[in-house]
Amino acid sequence: MENNIQLNPQELQIQGLLDRYLASQAKRTASGTTHVEEDSLSAFVEGTLNKRESASIVSHLVDCGFCRHATTELVRLDLAFAEDNIPAAAIGSSEPSKISEVLSGLFAKIFGTSDGAVFAHEEPKKESDDSDEDDKKDQ
Amino acid sequence: MIGAGERPKLSMNEELQKHCDSAIEQMFTRCHENAPNFGVTPECFGSSLRATVARFAGSSDAELSKKELDDFLTLIQADDLFMAVACANGNERSWWEFDHQHRAYMERVARHLARTEVDATDVVDTVYEQLYGTRIVDGERVSKFATYSGRGSIRGWLRTVIWHSLVDRHRAGHDEVSLDEMTENVGEGMAHASFAEPPAGGETEMVDQITRDRYKKVTVAAIENAFNTLEDHEKLILLYYHVENMKLREISRLVESEDSPLRAWFQRKSQARESNPAGRIHESTVMRWLEKCYSKVLQSFNAKLRSDGGLSDEEITICTQLATQDLAGNSFFRNLTATRSAGEVSN
Repeated sequence: MENNIQLNPQELQIQGLLDRYLASQAKRTASGTTHVEEDSLSAFVEGTLNKRESASIVSHLVDCGFCRHATTELVRLDLAFAEDNIPAAAIGSSEPSKISEVLSGLFAKIFGTSDGAVFAHEEPKKESDDSDEDDKKDQ
Repeated sequence: MIGAGERPKLSMNEELQKHCDSAIEQMFTRCHENAPNFGVTPECFGSSLRATVARFAGSSDAELSKKELDDFLTLIQADDLFMAVACANGNERSWWEFDHQHRAYMERVARHLARTEVDATDVVDTVYEQLYGTRIVDGERVSKFATYSGRGSIRGWLRTVIWHSLVDRHRAGHDEVSLDEMTENVGEGMAHASFAEPPAGGETEMVDQITRDRYKKVTVAAIENAFNTLEDHEKLILLYYHVENMKLREISRLVESEDSPLRAWFQRKSQARESNPAGRIHESTVMRWLEKCYSKVLQSFNAKLRSDGGLSDEEITICTQLATQDLAGNSFFRNLTATRSAGEVSN
């Protein structure tokens, strides 16, 4: 079994005792806890936090079952994807839609209309229809 | 949304400040060369990065050194951050790139985590809304992208955002949510360590109930104390293994990066040092780390029973065996749990 750990009888007993003790604490998260922000949580899972900033996060993960569970699931997701061994880029090879189209569809679904007002930030549209061509050249 | 021109004040000396500004400028130049049409200004990019540096500098009381700053900036995913800043500002070209590079990945993550295809589609739509920012605060659109600081990869951040979004979605439909239930279809099951079978009785007949209760009480105190004497990274690895039921392979994945703080802590503590500290962390390495934790817990446990409980070596043996027998009944920590749970809000 992958997880078998070779311990002497005393350590085996302490392992069992510890397991039960920790299980009793499993769902503990102090009330009023501020959870670790997504950016830091993700960096922790990727191992890119350095010592200076990780001390407080490790300490938080010891006390916060919610954030700890999140990191656990993210690691599992990471492993599952690695095992699938499918290049992510190959999954969706279709031409990406312009964000205005994506959002238009989204808002149409939510509000039953495609409200152009939310796209007020858009860059001015070019006269010609070859804007996508230009975009590709810019790459 | 990141306000252009804002310049977060950094608590560092003038020389380091100049060094930081210069490094940020170089990063901007490099990113701008890679994506010249994202419409990101040096002020906007610098403002975002300076805010991140300020948070980093404030994460410890110790004064930030030049090397620490350089190491930190090296780890920043500058191109991802550049794209996020551009998207937060609503740049059409950056959105196109973002959609092209990451939408399929986001859909794949969502399909993996969500229970149904509908949930997966909805959660991606929801996250896109958040990324675009449909909320207006003080006249400005608030984009989720503004919370990305380049600390990890943008994909790592996106999967975290999707995970949280799914949890929120699940919570909205349930008064009491179990996180385990939410993700029960994720991962590889609950295969876990096998524990010692309770040894055949013998001692039970030798001690009366009063003595047994006394042993229980001191054992609870001793195991709690032993766990609390561990350092945080040791506690965390035990919690991952025992509470989250992570496999050794999963833990080794967590410390796979050579920069992983958990890995650095364990390797620094290792007297013998790993033969190849920069090499891959195998399950056997994690196993050794766990074994060291158990050994430390055992030492503290025995020491506590000797000092506070006044127990002899023989009594400690009986005590441990009794506690192990009681594990099967799941009643050993009932009182402790009840006491601890009072007044606490669990997730």
